[in-house]
Amino acid sequence: MYDNKRLGFLFALPFVLGVLLFKLFPFVASLCLSFTQYDLIDPPQYIGLQNYRELFGDDPLFRKSLGVTLWFAILAVPLRVGFALFVAHVLNFKLRAIGFFRAAFYLPSILGGSIAVAVLWRFLFSKYGLINLALVKLGLEPIAWLADEHYSMWTIVLLFTWQFGSAMVIFLAALQNVPVSLYEAAECDGASKAQQFWRITVPLITPVIFFNLIMQMVHAFQEFNAPYMITEGGPLNSTYVLALYIYDQSFRYFNLGYGAALSWVLFALVAALAALSFWSSRYWVFYAGEKDGAR
Amino acid sequence: MAAVSLRDIEKVYPNGFKAVRGVNLEIHDSEFMVLVGPSGSAKSTLLRMVAGLERATSGELHIGARRVNDLPPKQRGIAMVFQNYALYPHMTVYGNLAFGLKLSGLPKPEVDQRVRQAAELLEMSHLLERHPRQLSGGQAQRVAVGRAIVKKPEVFLFDEPLSNLDAKLRASMRVRLTELHHSLRERGQSATVIYVTHDQVEAMTMGERICVLKDGEIQQVDVPRVLYERPANAFVAGFIGSPEMNLLQAEVEQRGDAVGLKLKALWLPLPAELAAALDGHSDAGEVLFGLRPEHIATVSRSDRGTVAIGARVQLLEHMGNEVFIRADVQGTPLTARVPAEQVGDIGQCRRGEACTLHLNLRAAHLFARSDGRRLC
Amino acid sequence: MSAHATALTDHAQRSRALIRYTVLLAVAVLMLYPLLWLVGASFKSNSEIFSEVGFWPERFSPTAYVKGWKTSTEYTFATYFLNSFAITIPRIAVTVVSCVLVAYAFARFEFWGRKLLFGIMVATMMLPLIVLRLPQYLMFRELGWLDTYLPLIVPSAFATDTFFVFMLVQFLRGIPRDMEEAALIDGCNAWQLLLYIIVPLLKPAIISVVVFQFIWTMNDFMGPLIYLASVEKYPVSLALKMSIGATEEVEWANVIAISVVALVPSVAVFFMAQRHFIEGTASSGIKG
Repeated sequence: MYDNKRLGFLFALPFVLGVLLFKLFPFVASLCLSFTQYDLIDPPQYIGLQNYRELFGDDPLFRKSLGVTLWFAILAVPLRVGFALFVAHVLNFKLRAIGFFRAAFYLPSILGGSIAVAVLWRFLFSKYGLINLALVKLGLEPIAWLADEHYSMWTIVLLFTWQFGSAMVIFLAALQNVPVSLYEAAECDGASKAQQFWRITVPLITPVIFFNLIMQMVHAFQEFNAPYMITEGGPLNSTYVLALYIYDQSFRYFNLGYGAALSWVLFALVAALAALSFWSSRYWVFYAGEKDGAR
Repeated sequence: MAAVSLRDIEKVYPNGFKAVRGVNLEIHDSEFMVLVGPSGSAKSTLLRMVAGLERATSGELHIGARRVNDLPPKQRGIAMVFQNYALYPHMTVYGNLAFGLKLSGLPKPEVDQRVRQAAELLEMSHLLERHPRQLSGGQAQRVAVGRAIVKKPEVFLFDEPLSNLDAKLRASMRVRLTELHHSLRERGQSATVIYVTHDQVEAMTMGERICVLKDGEIQQVDVPRVLYERPANAFVAGFIGSPEMNLLQAEVEQRGDAVGLKLKALWLPLPAELAAALDGHSDAGEVLFGLRPEHIATVSRSDRGTVAIGARVQLLEHMGNEVFIRADVQGTPLTARVPAEQVGDIGQCRRGEACTLHLNLRAAHLFARSDGRRLC
Repeated sequence: MSAHATALTDHAQRSRALIRYTVLLAVAVLMLYPLLWLVGASFKSNSEIFSEVGFWPERFSPTAYVKGWKTSTEYTFATYFLNSFAITIPRIAVTVVSCVLVAYAFARFEFWGRKLLFGIMVATMMLPLIVLRLPQYLMFRELGWLDTYLPLIVPSAFATDTFFVFMLVQFLRGIPRDMEEAALIDGCNAWQLLLYIIVPLLKPAIISVVVFQFIWTMNDFMGPLIYLASVEKYPVSLALKMSIGATEEVEWANVIAISVVALVPSVAVFFMAQRHFIEGTASSGIKG
């Protein structure tokens, strides 16, 4: 029955339609839109590459936004993935309360994307919020997190890092798949714990590291809720990530052609980075085959 | 060059389970010592304690002249070959062999020399650039052995290294490992080996001395021949040898002048030597009577130690050069092992047919039924 | 298989464990304190919120909850919660149905374009979807669906949440086909197979789908932001944003109280199904 191609296609039909209607068509439409000038009132006008020319040549806000987005990604992704790996490593031993800790670290990653948490975060970092209160208690100077353009980025970076639980859970599963006998052999070879981590554990989980890096990178570039709610892109556009810029152009100023062009630039950027990552993975990601010592 | 000494070694787990009970074992320098026993006998536990991967609860462990109880594996001068080889999947064969050496700071040329020497010794020089996933089971096993050789350890530890191989490969690897041991010894490179297995064939063919373990206690330590011919208790008797020794419950009885064994309705008069040996034991009443299958014949011998009994054939297993006769003697199973040319008429018997078997009682073993210890 | 225990002394082993527990506990406290503080603050007075680091309120006062629930709009949070559920529940239903059908196809059947479609599925999981927002908006505008819940629910009926399809496919691939083959011999057709054999086997994965879709939809912000205009249709996420509003003066006590309430359904569902889905997502990758 399973080689009945027609039946299989029938079952997959919702997906096929979904891809066509909600993915492929908008994808192409987006590109076409980027070549137009459209404000929802008058019909769209074809203007060729003008949007892109303006974007790259004449738009300091775009350059600022791009820089902010890249800076955010460079800070937030390694922090999140690094923390996830660190905690997974510490968690990886015969621990009676492992269920509790796993849940405790995982919870923020589920709630973190919500507006409620963004609201909370905004409060935490406000002038008289919890963080500053704690700093004062420790004898330090309070920081104007949300008002100072040098610190505002850190509020959203910290929120992003706070949500490391989902990546951690994946790392934990990968770590638990490394056979104990490899560590024993390394122990007999004279490797210290640190050496065992860097020269046995890490190389063997590079596929998972790679996967997590790519997924988190894609999330970082699309981050919207946090900068929207906590810092509102400011102060002085210091947290004005591309997702915000695209939103503003598309849904607030109804500069639809320009918004489409912006979103395409973001898409191309992420696609390029992803392709680069895949290409580089040849050199540092090791995929173990099915065979190890035991048959 | 090192002897290994275990004195009063015990291991108790946190839940109270005593895995190793008062083990005393002296392994001589350059000896090939096999630890053999069924699962749960703690043979792997003992090996890992020597390696330093597990800790003895009490007792003294010495390698060479040093007390090593508190030393980590690296400092004990040991090298271990794991059951599932534990090769590093992300390194080449060369990398696997060189890893430990590089960690200890050995200069590169010497690392290279040792690796290539070991590869040559194991005939795997052509595999050096491969990754473990590209190796067959036998090749992976050789790499695991090579990794131990390059370290030039004082003691080699093998943890059931052949159990993952198919039967044919196992047989050829047995030979290879034994020859390896000899050639290392000839070169003057220290070659004390402790080898753990559950397979008594491996034990018998490879071991210079064998230590039989059961439930964390040593049953007997000796050369294979002695283990085979004079097992210290019923367990060792039944464990060593294939097909297994026949062990039957019997009573020692005196009938007039003769001392003999009463097995159900059978009466087996004992040869004089055995009867004399029995005299010294006070509780020689209920015994386990042991006789190896090769001491049961289908033709009678002309000496006085042989007794003929009637039996019913259950199954004949033709092995080519010999035949295993599985027979039933008044409800008790008995196995005989007979060269093919001597099987005679019995070879034509069908299931349930009667036949006559001749037991060579000169080769009988007697064990106390209470605790299994050897009586004679 | 967890990490190894080598021949350390009992003492050394215990102190190692102690260090680990300490580190983990410290991180856990640091991570969860904000949430804990949020709950405590919801019972505090405005002044206490801004002066105390400790999370335990001096006096328990539920006024923030009462005021926050009423909100400064003409609707209470009851309305907003009902709206959220009106979006979430249908969306979960259509998601489960469509994703199971499609996953069944990918995991078991051979059909035209299977490899290509699977590649597209993986690709869409990895590429920024923000590029699709605008055209989708225009499309729904043409259909007259703006300011309704349809744009938030209908796409899920076409298995556009590819993460769930992927997760179900991986799960299904791990299940041997023996039972299905036995059923085929007994004369089952595809639908019966799906309903009576596959779906029961998929139960743990389906639970994961339900839990995740529930939490993500309850927390969805950008979707409702783009498509909903009438305040009476706002779900909780938009209502929360409203409570911050454009003014500088924020009734923080109320906002915090209502944030706690907004999080309660998600946290509750999480704890109820926690065991289940953490293990499920680990094996199939996670969007989060």
